[in-house]
Amino acid sequence: MLICKSAAERRYLVRLLVAGLLYILATFVTIHILYHGRTTLPMGLLLAAIPSVPLFAMIAVVAIYLKEEKDDFQRELFIQSLLWGMGGTLALTSFWSFLHLFTHVPPVDGFHVFVIFWVLMGVATIPLRRYYGGAGND
Amino acid sequence: MTNRLRVLRAERAWSQQDLAERLEVSRQSVNAIETGRYDPSLPLAFRIARLFGLPIEQIFLEDAKQPNQ
Repeated sequence: MLICKSAAERRYLVRLLVAGLLYILATFVTIHILYHGRTTLPMGLLLAAIPSVPLFAMIAVVAIYLKEEKDDFQRELFIQSLLWGMGGTLALTSFWSFLHLFTHVPPVDGFHVFVIFWVLMGVATIPLRRYYGGAGND
Repeated sequence: MTNRLRVLRAERAWSQQDLAERLEVSRQSVNAIETGRYDPSLPLAFRIARLFGLPIEQIFLEDAKQPNQ
């Protein structure tokens, strides 16, 4: 059971989950349509846009959470996680791009970047919570 | 910025969770403020002052400035 520190966080997680599931669904549907080969540009634009809409929705969910969260410390923690997630993603994908240039490693597909960002953002919260201290109830 | 939050809380025998509930913030917020790792926003500082019935300056103490050499 996930413990949410506020109602705003609870709403954020539910909205993020919905957007995430829509993204997965949209990705599967569009890839299934393209399974039999490439398509024309207009159709390709539409198919590429479909999974992108939930991604924009996730960003909107983040913005709404920052507006709704009344606990300014939790907001600060969230923003720092976002920053480390974004910075880590940019650094990691840049590193991998150089590695792809110099060696035979496969390139990072663009649609993996968003996933990498969310993973790194989640990972960043661990040292941040340790730094600010969260254990125990004095 | 140092503060007397832990002392004031102890005088009332409140846990961090008790104080957090009264301020409508998370326990982590209270802990971060008490340990000096995080300075509260102005509205939160006012809520803290109102809760303890003290002026803000008697709860939050500006770090002493170093005199110019």
